[in-house]
Amino acid sequence: MTRMSNSTHEAIRQVNGLSRRNFLKAASGLAVAASVGTSLLGASRAFASMPEGIKVMSQGEYAVMARLMAVTLPTAGTSLIPTSQIPVMQTLDAALLATMEPHILEGLKGGIQYFNEGPKASFGKTFVELSDDQAKRFCDAWGDSDEVPHRALAVGLKKLIGLSYWANPPTWAPLGYDGPVTDRWGIKSLGNAPMPKQ
Amino acid sequence: MAKTIPTNTMPAHGLKVTQASDINDGDIHLDVDAVVIGSGAGGAISAYELAKAGKKVVVLEAGRYVPSEKFTEMMAVSMDAMYADHGGQSNSAGDIAVLQGTCVGGSTVVNAALCFRTPDYYLDLWARDYGLTNLTPEVLLPYFEKVEANLSIETNKSYETSAGAELLRTGMKKLSLPDSSAKRNIRDCVMTGFCFAGCKSDRKQSMLVTYLPWAAAYGAEIYADTRATRILAKNGKASGVEAQVVDPDTKEIKASVRINAPIVVAAAGPIQTPLLLQRSNLANSSGQVGKNFACHPTLSITGMFDDNVDNFHGATHSLYMDKYTMPEEGGYLLLDAVQDPTEASFQAEPGTGEPYMAYMSRYRNAVRLITLIHDQNVGEVNWNNGAKEIKYFVDDADFEIMKAGLKTNARILFAAGANKLHIPSSQPLSIDSENDIDSVIGGLKNEPARYRYTSFHPQGTCRMGADPAKTVVSPTGETHDVHNLYVVDASLLPTSIGYNPSETVYALAHYINDHINRVHS
Repeated sequence: MTRMSNSTHEAIRQVNGLSRRNFLKAASGLAVAASVGTSLLGASRAFASMPEGIKVMSQGEYAVMARLMAVTLPTAGTSLIPTSQIPVMQTLDAALLATMEPHILEGLKGGIQYFNEGPKASFGKTFVELSDDQAKRFCDAWGDSDEVPHRALAVGLKKLIGLSYWANPPTWAPLGYDGPVTDRWGIKSLGNAPMPKQ
Repeated sequence: MAKTIPTNTMPAHGLKVTQASDINDGDIHLDVDAVVIGSGAGGAISAYELAKAGKKVVVLEAGRYVPSEKFTEMMAVSMDAMYADHGGQSNSAGDIAVLQGTCVGGSTVVNAALCFRTPDYYLDLWARDYGLTNLTPEVLLPYFEKVEANLSIETNKSYETSAGAELLRTGMKKLSLPDSSAKRNIRDCVMTGFCFAGCKSDRKQSMLVTYLPWAAAYGAEIYADTRATRILAKNGKASGVEAQVVDPDTKEIKASVRINAPIVVAAAGPIQTPLLLQRSNLANSSGQVGKNFACHPTLSITGMFDDNVDNFHGATHSLYMDKYTMPEEGGYLLLDAVQDPTEASFQAEPGTGEPYMAYMSRYRNAVRLITLIHDQNVGEVNWNNGAKEIKYFVDDADFEIMKAGLKTNARILFAAGANKLHIPSSQPLSIDSENDIDSVIGGLKNEPARYRYTSFHPQGTCRMGADPAKTVVSPTGETHDVHNLYVVDASLLPTSIGYNPSETVYALAHYINDHINRVHS
């Protein structure tokens, strides 16, 4: 069993527990202008440009999550909205990570780093350095790993990325989902129930 | 001669709530007859019954006040604003999302409104094993009838269904399994499918539109954004509560609150109530506070159909199958549920990248069926370095029950016309034929972080019972150790009950408050 720090265990616990969350309110309106920073997780040709408004993730953490987004949410050849048109990473950062308790966030950051270093054993590279095909195979391998932390991170980090994309209403139309209806259907509120007789 | 308690005019809509934004004074001192911690099922009913009896009542709710006109009908936004930990509450293994409402009205605002009376089986079990001989079916019957009348709890009308539920119903009929229509606390459902995000048109009879405004009409004051930090006791009797008003956006403490009250009702839910008692060093001579946690773990199988089903509007839950729900029969319950894209996005693992996006592209073709198990009370809730910890792992025996439930679940989906099933596991796992059900599901192993569990029903952390050495709360709802300190939420349940526990909590709340009012008349 791979030895892991307590903070990494905490990251696994939290990241896998994160559930259906929409961070639209915080993500909306954030700029997506690019700014290239320096690596915190080691040299990588794959480090993505980090948009303005990313305040919680470090450059290195952003690179890992952006790479995961790219391999998890491919839209080529589909009617789905490309991730370049959806503030996925801003949603993740500004509304999800920014609301975490500090000790949980610290653990999550450890988990992202651990995930990035995971492929070194099998591929000789960090996650951000893998090709698309390698990155997908790595994610699937960890999802079916005998190691609990591997499974937890593979599920949890992909879940965060997925939620940060699908929580944005523009992603719904290609699915045929029409979203909120009460106002559109003109449904009136019944208000408070009358006082009971007993 | 009966005392006549005057009522204020009840607004047609909304609720008078003191929020953090209303607070300017850094210290609040109140002297009342009763302080109620929590505004969900147990807290709201307590507030109403105590205020109606003429007591001066204050309700403290840690969550926000979100009036229904501000409900967004966007599941993830609602999770952020109205659920515990913004929807991120989980067990320590991280593989069970433990969902609870944290807002004025509590979980009743965001539940699916399903109501079941407590099965006699469990009342008998509780009498036999926990000395709750007072909670007989005959004693509780009028309480069930009362809440059913007050909350408009009725069997779904024939049109209160969903496209997915109707498909599943055909599957059940083909297999000669009994299909049952749910009872819900809803008036004139318009079937938006947004029960979990809060009912924007106030059809769901949550505490937000029933017992809380009724309590307020009798003079109860409600504080939102106000987290109880300590229950106070003197000479073995409850004496009040300390709390903090916290700005939900900035986390700034707006006021320290001290409430002196001879009656304290802890109704913060089965996670927060034991944590508060532990922090207060009260009511734990048995060592059982926080122990015996159960949560009705659920797993959903997603079936893919050839045609578009559009299973996202309609009654959130309308169909269930409980042929195998009693422990001797199997111990699992099957429930349908609509789902929005964010919910669908993590229900299955088809494979990273293109397989996942192909699965999501067929969202309109997807129908899920939930398996909920009656679980053993093997978990516990504690503080760990200043943070709450829910230690719970699915018991091996319970996992076998889950597998049995998943097999029935899968058979129903295939019988309903599904052509492929996704098992909610960490690795890609699907079933393409009914012939493969037993081999695939039979081969599942009980491993942490392997499955995508959700729990909607935490319970059992302050067990009710006659023996002070083994339980926390007496048969009348008062803690064994501290007089006039009552627990009124799902933490009371000595065992899990295999069905949605809300109506059990409603009935127990009325029962306990009848006792409080008799003792403190």
